[in-house]
Amino acid sequence: MTTRPDRDGDEQLSLLGTAWEAAAQHWQDEVARQFDADHWTPLAQRSRAYLGALGTLLDVLETAERETEF
Amino acid sequence: MIKVHADLHALKGFHEALVRFRYAQRDVAERGRDEIEVTRASLAAKASRWQARLEQCQAELDACRAGDGEEAADCSAYARAVELTSERLEHVRRWQQRVDLEAAEFGGPASAYLDLLEVDLPRAESQLLAIIASLEAARRVPAGET
Repeated sequence: MTTRPDRDGDEQLSLLGTAWEAAAQHWQDEVARQFDADHWTPLAQRSRAYLGALGTLLDVLETAERETEF
Repeated sequence: MIKVHADLHALKGFHEALVRFRYAQRDVAERGRDEIEVTRASLAAKASRWQARLEQCQAELDACRAGDGEEAADCSAYARAVELTSERLEHVRRWQQRVDLEAAEFGGPASAYLDLLEVDLPRAESQLLAIIASLEAARRVPAGET
């Protein structure tokens, strides 16, 4: 059985978050703070927003299929 | 040279995770688009099926009403069939409109996210690679020469 793409995306984001935490644990200088502000935080926020919107849309698609089965 | 204090192994792991994430999210976006098209095609097929059914029911009702018997025939069952079929067709069409609307609203954020994956993320990966290279270079310099 295939999983929904938004759920796969959430899982990938979670894995990436774990890798970031491992890196950030020993990387706490100015370069790290800059990378966090310029790249990591926007990436994580926009990924969450996109996956949330995709999840909402997929819910609508599933409902559309279900509601039109007579 | 940038001074970086970090765990080289963890940074490389994060870089690899970023690259994997970019490919995985591209796949997620592609599958999302596929789901929209599959649902649109499915709803279009249902609408087409109910349209054909409606035409058939309408023809049966017309035939009943045009019946050549001397007494007026009871065509109420045919009329109910037309009404029910018409309601179902309208229901499917409303869902088609809703799906089109939701897909259009999703299009903007989806396109912006693809830009992030295609432009911003590779830039972040390149910067991280430069940081890793800088760190490796610093570690090759013997102590006392920095």
